[in-house]
Amino acid sequence: MSIQTAPTPAPARSRDGSGLSFGRILRSEWIKVTTVPSTVILLAITLVVMVGLSTLYAWQLAVSVGFMADASPEMQAQMGGGMEMFREQALMAPASGYIFGQLLIASLAVVLIASEWGTGMIRSTMVAVPTRIPALLAKNLIIALIAFILGAGAAFISYFIAQPILSSEGLDFALTDDGVLRSILNTGTYLAFIAVISMAIGTLLRNTAGGVVTAIGLFFVFPVIIVNIIQGLADWIPDAARFLPTNAGDRMLMFPAEAAGQLSPLEGGLVMAAWAVALLIISLLVAKRRDV
Amino acid sequence: MIEAQSLSKRYGAKTAVDNVSFTVQPGKVTGFLGPNGAGKSTTMRMIVGLDRPTDGAVTVNGKPYPRHKAPLHEVGALLDAKAVHTKRSAYNHLRALAATHGISNKRVNDVIELTGLGPVAKRRVGGFSLGMGQRLGIAVALLGDPQTLIFDEPVNGLDPEGVLWVRNLAKGLAAEGRTVFLSSHLMSEMAVTADHLIVIGRGRIIADAPITEIIAGQDKIRTLVRTDQPEELRRELENRETTFTQLEPDLLEITGRDPRSIAEAALARQILIYELTPRQSSLEEAYMELTRDQVEYQSQAIDQPEAPVPAAEATLISGGGKSA
Amino acid sequence: MSTAAPAAQEPRSSGAGRVTFARVLRSEMIKTATVPSTVILLAVSFAVMVGLGALVAWGTVQLVNDPAAGPPGGLGASAQSLAYDIPASGLPFGQLLIAALAVVLIGSEYTTGMIRSTMVAVPTRTPALLAKTLVTAVISFILGVLAAFATYLAAQPILSGSDLDFGLDADGVLPSIINTGTVLALIAVMGVAIGALLRSTAGGVVTLVGALFVLPIITGLLSGLADWVVDAERFLPSSASAALVATRVQPEAFNQAEGGLILAGWAVVLLAAAVVVIKKRDV
Repeated sequence: MSIQTAPTPAPARSRDGSGLSFGRILRSEWIKVTTVPSTVILLAITLVVMVGLSTLYAWQLAVSVGFMADASPEMQAQMGGGMEMFREQALMAPASGYIFGQLLIASLAVVLIASEWGTGMIRSTMVAVPTRIPALLAKNLIIALIAFILGAGAAFISYFIAQPILSSEGLDFALTDDGVLRSILNTGTYLAFIAVISMAIGTLLRNTAGGVVTAIGLFFVFPVIIVNIIQGLADWIPDAARFLPTNAGDRMLMFPAEAAGQLSPLEGGLVMAAWAVALLIISLLVAKRRDV
Repeated sequence: MIEAQSLSKRYGAKTAVDNVSFTVQPGKVTGFLGPNGAGKSTTMRMIVGLDRPTDGAVTVNGKPYPRHKAPLHEVGALLDAKAVHTKRSAYNHLRALAATHGISNKRVNDVIELTGLGPVAKRRVGGFSLGMGQRLGIAVALLGDPQTLIFDEPVNGLDPEGVLWVRNLAKGLAAEGRTVFLSSHLMSEMAVTADHLIVIGRGRIIADAPITEIIAGQDKIRTLVRTDQPEELRRELENRETTFTQLEPDLLEITGRDPRSIAEAALARQILIYELTPRQSSLEEAYMELTRDQVEYQSQAIDQPEAPVPAAEATLISGGGKSA
Repeated sequence: MSTAAPAAQEPRSSGAGRVTFARVLRSEMIKTATVPSTVILLAVSFAVMVGLGALVAWGTVQLVNDPAAGPPGGLGASAQSLAYDIPASGLPFGQLLIAALAVVLIGSEYTTGMIRSTMVAVPTRTPALLAKTLVTAVISFILGVLAAFATYLAAQPILSGSDLDFGLDADGVLPSIINTGTVLALIAVMGVAIGALLRSTAGGVVTLVGALFVLPIITGLLSGLADWVVDAERFLPSSASAALVATRVQPEAFNQAEGGLILAGWAVVLLAAAVVVIKKRDV
């Protein structure tokens, strides 16, 4: 046993870095996301799936138009709408992958945050950043940014792949056409908001399976049920349903931009942003107060 | 320096930590002892801000832990070696934590070398053995080169070389003037590592003193005596303060009489003694005595096939575990 | 201290000790019942399914009173026959929650490491997997039937106001109620199989939910592509489920028996794959 009388003064220590800063915490969260191999793989798969879906969508459209062109005039009348309708649908091609993309991004976002609790990593994180909010906020920002780049990127790539397919039936369009750039970029915005809402759910529930189920229920099952089943129930239901996060967010991507009784792209974006910000703030406050 | 004042933590009806106050001083190794479930881990978690105290407060180097601008430079904590993502490599885990404070890659590599993780640093943590995981936890604690160190069961799963390494690490850090606060169940290690002890039981502090005092608190003189005539010797020495335990047919443990008086009594009766050894209390014995009534989770002894039959008058069982 | 070495002792055992399927089954029942998420998910599923069914009942009544509020072009069927579908209307949510429950029950064994204890206790492995599947399927079946029945009961008072109430003997109603249970049981089997194959809760839930909910959306989108897409869609698990609980057979769709066979086919194939993989793979 060693017996110390007076403590010797601490030696000058190697102290690089002067401590916590938000920029550093951002960097830490970036490292965390990029150093788990399955994350990178999942993101790549999401990209491929989204582009693949958009390609199929474009192809399907071209086939339909080709079919119609070959069909008799009676059938053409029956198919209704005509080229105008098809042209409008063609504009959706770059963004159309978002249906599957949001499922994967929602799950990934929940897992990336809830797994900190699942693996116990959250304790290391909270000891390094005891004020907690900067770490969670940084994680949200990084993952939202990744989701945005993924979504917009997938939509861009899909745009370029779709043009040759669509041009065979005269359905091609330019980037500068009305609303095209909006739809492409907002595929990214939409996925970013999905990610933030999913992360809030993951933080609040601290459980991967529960979080994934809740997020999927909120984004997929709930709106579908509302649309198909409950809408006849009362007048205000279809009106209110427009303000659900995914229903509102859809408007950012869709054509035509202005439609009767529907939110405009800007309104839709703001509504979805409001959902995301509100849930984010709630999750941050709860995480700060709660025992880890 | 760690200062706890009237620290309490309640979970509903259960009180895990009950009005605990202590100071952990720099420049020495302070051991934190207590039975399972006594509140050690909860106390340590409150020190680093993982749990919020129900009452009271605890500060590190003068401020509550979350208020420090560079927490990892103030306190390095090994609380839970499993607080890692299994699919990440040890190297990346350290990098991610280092990045929050702007700690350089060079320091990360230094800490890896220091803890002997060099060969496995780039491998996934999920595949680590218990000992390697433990070393990673220590590496995380050392990352910020902190003034205060908190280790919860640091030698858990380490091989003998690792155990020795931790002992020297703790003592070396204390010698540099840092505050070292460590908890362990390994009594033999604690006895040679710690300078000061804080003992907790059922959420309350039972003892807070230098280690020598705690061991000396067991102030009963005990002597081992080997003789062919134990019965005669006993009859000679018997009185109210002296008790006897028969360990083997020719081996007695005599409590309450100093060796010289035992030898004199034997000589007076012409009883041959061929072993006369004073026995000092161990930390384990002192600890068991202190916490005897405080143990929350008691194990049951498993029947031994041939337990030594205790001598008829054996009363005080000092040393624990010899009979069920 | 002790002198002689202890005499060799008889190996002690407090029971016959063999691993039988009945015992493995009991073990899986204990495991399932003692995890909080099971009870929570089952309770939530029941509440949501019945609540949804009641809402649909109410919605149907509204539609009868005010046909203009419904989808344009009418409903394509009489209100009464629509009412027959009400008991099973909670199925979409039930599918989501049961899929999650089934995947969690096995996925969590992997993420917590419990699977190692299980495989050491039952080294032949297959009985453990089958027992877990059986327990989960039975629980899901019971939940489905109870929820559909409760929905039926809750709907009658709502419907009677518009003379839409009906007895259990009405066309296709009783099979619909029972098959709500069948669908959930088969989905549970798929969930356990997928969870065992992927060894991950999140991955399993995403895959199964994607197969059940997103795939139909995609095939819907692509229906113009080729004839076979529409044909293939009928073989999706979601379509097969719908066929199983339908009270009247839709044109171009499979009937109940065919739907049941298809869904069972999916379940059996996935389960067989899981059995093979679990046996061969390192735990």
